Amino acid sequence: MSSERTRDFGRYVAAADDDVIICRCEEVAKGEIRRAVRDGLFTVHEVRRLLRCGMGLCQGNTCARLVRGIIARELGVAADSLVEATGRAPARPLEMRVFAREQGL
Amino acid sequence: MTRYDLIVIGAGPAGLSAAAEAAGAGLRVAVFDENAKPGGQLFKQIHKFFGAKEHKAKIRGVKIGAELLAEAEKRGAEVFLNSPVAGLYKEREILVRRGEGVGHYKGDAIIVATGAQENMPAFAGWTLPGVMGAGAAQTLMHLHRVKPGKRVLMLGSGNVGLVVGFQLRQAGCELAAVLDAAPRIGGYGVHAAKLARTGVPFYLSHSIVRAWGTDKVTGVVAGEVDGGWNFIPGREKQFEVDTVCIAAGLAPATQLLKMAGCAMRAAGADWLPVCSAVGETSLPGVYAAGDVSGIEEASSAMIEGRLAGGAAARKLGFIGPDEYEERRQVLLAALASLREGMFAPQKRGQISAQTDEGIDLSQTLLRKGYLEEGEVGKYPGVKPAAGIHPVIECTQNIPCNPCRDACPQGCIKVTGGIAALPEYDDRAGCAGCGLCVAVCPGQAIFLLNEDAGDGLAEVTAPYEFLPLPQKGELGAALARSGEKLCPAEVVRVKLAPAFDRTALVTFRVPRDFAMRARFWQKEAAA
Amino acid sequence: MRLTNHPILGPAAPGREVVFFLDGVAATGLEGEPLAAALKAAGVAVHRYTKKHRRPRGLFCAVGRCTDCVMVVNGRPNVRVCVTPLEEGMRVATQYGAGEGVK
Repeated sequence: MSSERTRDFGRYVAAADDDVIICRCEEVAKGEIRRAVRDGLFTVHEVRRLLRCGMGLCQGNTCARLVRGIIARELGVAADSLVEATGRAPARPLEMRVFAREQGL
Repeated sequence: MTRYDLIVIGAGPAGLSAAAEAAGAGLRVAVFDENAKPGGQLFKQIHKFFGAKEHKAKIRGVKIGAELLAEAEKRGAEVFLNSPVAGLYKEREILVRRGEGVGHYKGDAIIVATGAQENMPAFAGWTLPGVMGAGAAQTLMHLHRVKPGKRVLMLGSGNVGLVVGFQLRQAGCELAAVLDAAPRIGGYGVHAAKLARTGVPFYLSHSIVRAWGTDKVTGVVAGEVDGGWNFIPGREKQFEVDTVCIAAGLAPATQLLKMAGCAMRAAGADWLPVCSAVGETSLPGVYAAGDVSGIEEASSAMIEGRLAGGAAARKLGFIGPDEYEERRQVLLAALASLREGMFAPQKRGQISAQTDEGIDLSQTLLRKGYLEEGEVGKYPGVKPAAGIHPVIECTQNIPCNPCRDACPQGCIKVTGGIAALPEYDDRAGCAGCGLCVAVCPGQAIFLLNEDAGDGLAEVTAPYEFLPLPQKGELGAALARSGEKLCPAEVVRVKLAPAFDRTALVTFRVPRDFAMRARFWQKEAAA
Repeated sequence: MRLTNHPILGPAAPGREVVFFLDGVAATGLEGEPLAAALKAAGVAVHRYTKKHRRPRGLFCAVGRCTDCVMVVNGRPNVRVCVTPLEEGMRVATQYGAGEGVK
């Protein structure tokens, strides 16, 4: 994707569905993601670091695919050419007090 | 830290099959599942499965789930419920929530059978309470016995949308319509047909513009889309509903595989683990089985689970090479037969115009969910005959043959592969037992007696709704399209144990309606 | 909204009815069923209001994956009520934001 860095994708233009929420947990709208891409963030990792989409309680279970699709459309590339966000533990919400309590099983 | 020969993550069809297979070979097996009940989606799947005998065809998912769980436990696998696996690491170690703490476990082999998650399309208003996944509706109805709503709109016409749509009707919910942005129904035609004949309209090339409501959804604006998936102005429709179900396809739940560092490959919009024929990933001793390795039916997941379980047993030296190879070949053959036909995973995205037999597919079935009266006769299961005889309205190549095995007279032939269209052989002589009607997982078989006297015909159709009609009850005969044809009197209701809760309702219609009437509808109470 | 009978599953197994409290008001559900099922059966749609836009949310995936259904349960916020079994006397509260004002 490094050659994409210098490619001009054009400026962000508002669209009718920009208000649609994409990341339900962090309440990130489609327009925010589109604008971030136009501002030069071309990977799932960068976009989620800036906007927090996919970093809420569900860890992107619902929106990961949507976010990838939106970035891909803005860039004019196939969705499967974008690498998915890194998977990290915990894969399900775990409170710190639970995390810290080793059962010693 | 506790050690097991094999750790299975997920107690669904693939995971339980893997555990049963491996525990049967003598491995010490632990299965972890985040849910309070085992079985994955099996206990929600109340419909009869497609396939052949070796795939547990014509048995309902609920029963398969119970059998599988009993088998895994009898063979000594330990099943841990309410135990979400929060981490999987390449050293074959897992981190599991257990009660109010966490535990670490290590397996000499690990089988990841975490299944799938639902894809969700975003539209204005999709965050409103009342908009939910089709899986949520299924979970509410079948595990918790609660209706998801009164009047529902289904978005998505794949098998999940069609099956859950029918199940909503079975639970007594109204189904306002089934929408799909695609121009064709994505799931099995028989699943669509059994919904359409109860009067549910299909809107293909339609999607949701927005759902509205203040504190919960009260309605939906849907719109027609063009070939580029853009809404066509002025082609909106409104639906007043209190529930919207989304069935926009499934994606493999690969989070743990990715976390462990398994090599992944792009496949369409999804990323799938790179696997061997028995499911071993790029990490030695770590396997993927079932939907997590690629979305298919639960029948395939069960075989994949056994393949992975056997492979783990072989790898750890619990079974010898000959025994393993023999078993492996049987399982691979069973899996291959499930991948026959026009809905096979390798054919995804392709559009068939004809059946394998060279018969044109019904375009009305693909657009509206039902067969036209004039085209039914093209298919080999439909032949005019005197006396009582089956009419098999099975028009797509689906790997499924319980109808053939059910007929004690040998009237039904499925030749040239499991996905061939069933053929009615009128020389054998139908005895009118109705077993074929009851076992057909697609509810696509009817019995017809076109000369029941007085210019009347008798139609026998499968019926899975409550309350059951009574003999002598007057209702309405509906066409394949759900259109009301004429008044119809019920003359028989059969519910034998072999029918497994599919009742056979025989109703009488004027002879001219014999090839049109396909559903008996209770008249609304006055 | 409860399915007491079903053409395939048959009659529902009788459960033990217990009282719980929703925003301080007594309600009933079946012991051991997910809290979300009890709320659905009682006709409750809104589980929480979001942090940024204060929009209502309810049950969405019903299997513990989407985390949309979270509420304040026995004083603890962000509890996925779709996978939390109902216990007698449970105190359930509509969640505002990340659980502001939880006592």
